[in-house]
Amino acid sequence: MPRLDAHGVELHYQTLGNGPDVVMLHGLITGSLASWYYTLAPLVASDHRVTLYDMRGHGLSQKTATGYDSETLCRDLDAVVNQTCSDRFCLVGQSYGALVALRYALKYPDRVSQLILVELPLPPSQAGDLEALLDGGAESVLAALPQNGQHLMGGGGRGRRFRRFCESIRFFADDSTLRHDLDVEPDIDETALASLDVPTLAIYGDQSSCLPTLDRLAAHVTDLKTQTLNGGHYLHLDALEPLSVAVRGFLNG
Amino acid sequence: MQTKDDVLSQVTETIREVVGEEWILDESIEMATSFGDDLELESIEFVALAEALQAVYGEGLDFVKWLSSKELDDIIELTVGDVVEFILACLD
Repeated sequence: MPRLDAHGVELHYQTLGNGPDVVMLHGLITGSLASWYYTLAPLVASDHRVTLYDMRGHGLSQKTATGYDSETLCRDLDAVVNQTCSDRFCLVGQSYGALVALRYALKYPDRVSQLILVELPLPPSQAGDLEALLDGGAESVLAALPQNGQHLMGGGGRGRRFRRFCESIRFFADDSTLRHDLDVEPDIDETALASLDVPTLAIYGDQSSCLPTLDRLAAHVTDLKTQTLNGGHYLHLDALEPLSVAVRGFLNG
Repeated sequence: MQTKDDVLSQVTETIREVVGEEWILDESIEMATSFGDDLELESIEFVALAEALQAVYGEGLDFVKWLSSKELDDIIELTVGDVVEFILACLD
């Protein structure tokens, strides 16, 4: 299984296809590289080289108790791109993955050719739902996913997948600093947003609680295209086809 | 020349390695066994299975291209036999 070392943390990654580099970042807690592997990544990989990785604590990467703040996750991303990508690449992130991608693009604008933010929560406390879900345990986290996601994460008569899903929720809720890290995650202010110097596409679901971020981005980010799709927070699950059209159109346009 | 039985036995062995739990050793794995409802593989475990099979059969096994032609609902319902047939077609 392909793994790389991100300053002492072992991360599981995959590269798919050939062409200009695209790196895709999944969301926290229910996400893993599988979120993209079964959905958007194969479609983008038809004419790009796509790098996917499991963020620390997720999927098959090392389970670390700490480091779920976007600054540490940004350092992990830097270690990934330095080992898998050429000098310039496009970043695609969903939810907290989009927050990490945005922070990276603000820090290293010369390396990011294009930025695609899917359901970015800003201020990050907009993802407060995530904490309420954690409080409600595995059942509430699962219930928040679209039907196909619920089946994929928790389905099956034996209950094995659901048991493992519960274990992973318990790990994040009780044995990691994730909840605290989300609590103290700072906002990205208007001045910083206005300084973003990378062509950006922001995509939101019209039924998502993160939708208000779109107006905020539109007011401050100069080189911005926006798109609203019929769906919720997990657009790769409930609006894959229009999401793919928007992402591929932006990448190739 | 690999037969269907050769590939099925390789896929079965790889599933057991990837799952790495005791119950899977006694589990009967056949062409009709599904990854979702029968084996309850996590989505990330199926990625690990694809990686391991690619290591055995080589880059000619283009899982990603194969998956890109499928809807998520079809992927959830995949059977061991679907993967065996896919490998046989790639080796052809």
